[in-house]
Amino acid sequence: MAATVRAWHPVIDDLRRAVGDANILSDPDELMVYECDGFPVAKGLPIAVVFPTTTQQVSRCLQALSKHDVQVVARGSGTGLAGGCVAFGDGVLIATSRMTTIETIDLDNRLAVVQAGVRNTALSDAVAARCRAAGLAGALHFSPDPSSQRASTVGGNAATNAGGISTLKHGVTSNHILGIEMVLPDGTILQTRADSLYDGIGADLPGLICGSEGTLGIITRLWCRLVPKPAHFRTVYGVFASTADACQTVSDTIASGLMPASMEIMDGAMVRVVEDAFHYGFPTDAQALLLMEVDGVAEVLDAELETLVQLCRKNRASDVKFCSDPKRRAELWSARKKAFGAIGRISRSYCTQDACIPRSLLAQAVVDIGQIGARHGLKITSVFHAGDGNVHPILLFDEEKPAQVQCVLRASTEILEYCISIGGTITGEHGVGVEKLHLMNRLFGDDTIDAFTAIKAAFDPQHRCNEGKLIPSDRVRIELLRPTTLNSPGGAS
Amino acid sequence: MSGENMRDVASAGMCQDVASTEELAGLVRQALAKRRPLVDYGVAHGGLGHAPPALHTRFRLRGATIQHYLADCTVRAATGITMGQLAAALAPHRQFVPIDADDDLTLGECIVHNVYGPLRQGYGMMRDLLLGLRYLDGQGRDIRVGGRTVKNVAGYDVTRLLVGSLGELGIVHEATLRTYAMPEQTLEAHLAVIDLSAMDERITPWLLSDARSQSLSVEWRGRGWRAYLGYFGPIKACATQLRALEEFLGPTRRMLLSDTKTAMAQEHRQETSRRRSWRRQATALVKILIPPATTGAFCAALTAGVRNAPSLRIDALPAFGCVFAGGDLDAGATLQLEARIQQWIGPRGGMRIWHQRPAETVPQLAPVAPTPSDMPMLVRLKRIMDPQGIFNPGRYLPAGDSDSSGATSHAMEVPA
Repeated sequence: MAATVRAWHPVIDDLRRAVGDANILSDPDELMVYECDGFPVAKGLPIAVVFPTTTQQVSRCLQALSKHDVQVVARGSGTGLAGGCVAFGDGVLIATSRMTTIETIDLDNRLAVVQAGVRNTALSDAVAARCRAAGLAGALHFSPDPSSQRASTVGGNAATNAGGISTLKHGVTSNHILGIEMVLPDGTILQTRADSLYDGIGADLPGLICGSEGTLGIITRLWCRLVPKPAHFRTVYGVFASTADACQTVSDTIASGLMPASMEIMDGAMVRVVEDAFHYGFPTDAQALLLMEVDGVAEVLDAELETLVQLCRKNRASDVKFCSDPKRRAELWSARKKAFGAIGRISRSYCTQDACIPRSLLAQAVVDIGQIGARHGLKITSVFHAGDGNVHPILLFDEEKPAQVQCVLRASTEILEYCISIGGTITGEHGVGVEKLHLMNRLFGDDTIDAFTAIKAAFDPQHRCNEGKLIPSDRVRIELLRPTTLNSPGGAS
Repeated sequence: MSGENMRDVASAGMCQDVASTEELAGLVRQALAKRRPLVDYGVAHGGLGHAPPALHTRFRLRGATIQHYLADCTVRAATGITMGQLAAALAPHRQFVPIDADDDLTLGECIVHNVYGPLRQGYGMMRDLLLGLRYLDGQGRDIRVGGRTVKNVAGYDVTRLLVGSLGELGIVHEATLRTYAMPEQTLEAHLAVIDLSAMDERITPWLLSDARSQSLSVEWRGRGWRAYLGYFGPIKACATQLRALEEFLGPTRRMLLSDTKTAMAQEHRQETSRRRSWRRQATALVKILIPPATTGAFCAALTAGVRNAPSLRIDALPAFGCVFAGGDLDAGATLQLEARIQQWIGPRGGMRIWHQRPAETVPQLAPVAPTPSDMPMLVRLKRIMDPQGIFNPGRYLPAGDSDSSGATSHAMEVPA
């Protein structure tokens, strides 16, 4: 795509003064990298991208943007999957990727204070090193583990309330954030529960800010809870003749009261793709593979494992394998985490949906979702967090075929509407961004949308902070890339 | 009964029973029309924050389990349900909501006061268990947030925002929560804690060991410190963890295993409720939040020279830096306790919240100190979620300019 020639904007000089020449990009060619996140359907070139290194710089940037009445969008590593960190309509991106200081690791109080741009695994790696140096017989870690954790930032995890594979037992990001520092759109620095305390008084502002997708302000520092990293595991996988049987095993496990750390399903197509790509030894005739793990006290894990095996067999698993060997375990989870990367082997393009449904309805839901795909002439494959009821139907298509793109958009909407109809929600962990904005009014009533809008106004009365994301806005309306104009960027009106 | 002809309940001693969402909306409309605040401080939190305005309407929400999604391990309930009723409804299905709360507290009271206790160790607290809410806002609108799925990031997480909000941002009338399988057994280990500083040093290593438990609390009843560790699960697991605890304690004799007790979950719940029952009778009760690793040292400082306050009682959650202190204290002992708390948290950080204080001390003891840095934003949220200030006005957040209740006179100072 040819770079857009853009007029110089007076805010750029002020931003340059705020962060220095080395920490700003405004050349359209350089800005191309920042035109989208992991949801490539939504594209928009920012006026500039700034890379502050301190909270004060962020504050100065926001004051400048306020002065010039320019939209601002926060961005961590850009691994989001809903178009939430794309700047539309002459917006400026504030990228926290150079705010990488781990300020405090406090093993006694089990917390870390980090700048927002610290990568998820960088934090846990640093904590593990500190635990080793302290001679502890185990390690603490920052528990949230989104698949993007090697690249994604802690600030981004908080802004999207990221989940991951082990959230079934260990919780999502907001369960692990104690306090937050955020710069409001007018440059004011807000600190909430920004101390070493595990509780506060009054309404839970960190809870509200987590998952707010950058629409309330720019998160600059976080007080993260560190928890013991499980040391003992049993990992089991069952091979099934249908995804529905694998799902029923998940529902039965939840109903049994057992709490595995993870329960992940790959359908047959995905198993074959992963096996072809990485050769983990999975049976290529499987129609579904259920990967589960229990952690905890070593002596009782075998009994829990036995329960899982029995439940797999009860649901007609053709084979059940288990391991406690750390190397094999690492391979199995690596297979799960690499699954998305392997999809390119079977499809030129794909669209990953993210919905959450009651866990007891999984078996029927995967069948119904498959039928929706079939009605639209689309193949759907799946790899998902079954234990959370968090489904990720992956719609395979060719983006060079506009009719297929149209089908994908229609099928996606139909899938999400179906999930709403059975008591589910339109996103379990990816966020709303711009991708699912059109479904917010169907999920929530007008009163709830009004309440959300009012809450945003308390933080952002001028509507300049990632406006047009997460909640529908009259002021900024994002038009996604239309299937018939694939090579044109989206924009705001 | 419609909202329009609803009986006017103005006297502080009377309580309006509300049987439906429609009636509740009517009550809110009436409060807005008459500019008469609605007050609900709960049955166990009446002394928390500033006193309600003289003229107000009290109300009591209906309580019921609306739907128990057994296979999903979630439950939807009208928030007037008491925790005892909720436990009784779930028990036949061998499930429970792991919140340490007295039987007579309603679910709504537990949510807006963020009630938690030793079980937080293994199960988290209300913000970790809540999946969705319905609440009435300050315009009488019925707002639904979250849902019944265990993960949900659609829209702002107002569910978590309202946890601990002291009933100032809206009236929560329905909630959906996670439930957990009732453990096969609870095994409680009682430790005599000889050296509190050992506790501070060893919490992190303990958490990293197999000796970590699903509940942990420490208490002072005037005759030394005692720790209670609850192991919940299969009998074999409990026995294994008890052995791990003995190994962990080792021969140092700074903490000694003095007793063990096995019970069914329901008995354990009653026992822990009995243990904290003193708080409901206390003339003075303060919750102190400090960095967890200082809990032992702080508790030691509170009880140093305890001869001056023989009835002082303390419950602490050392892994979370949460301490409840108080008892049958007169004004002098209460002020001494306050002085000790301030002496400690002043230089080291922390905050304290009085839940109950003798009347004579009220002019001298601000309900919350120090004022948290996020107060200005909380005030802004109050103004947009409850623009006329009808929900528990002035309790913690300043009552606002629309207040007609007199609560403004004791409104807290808002930092610039």
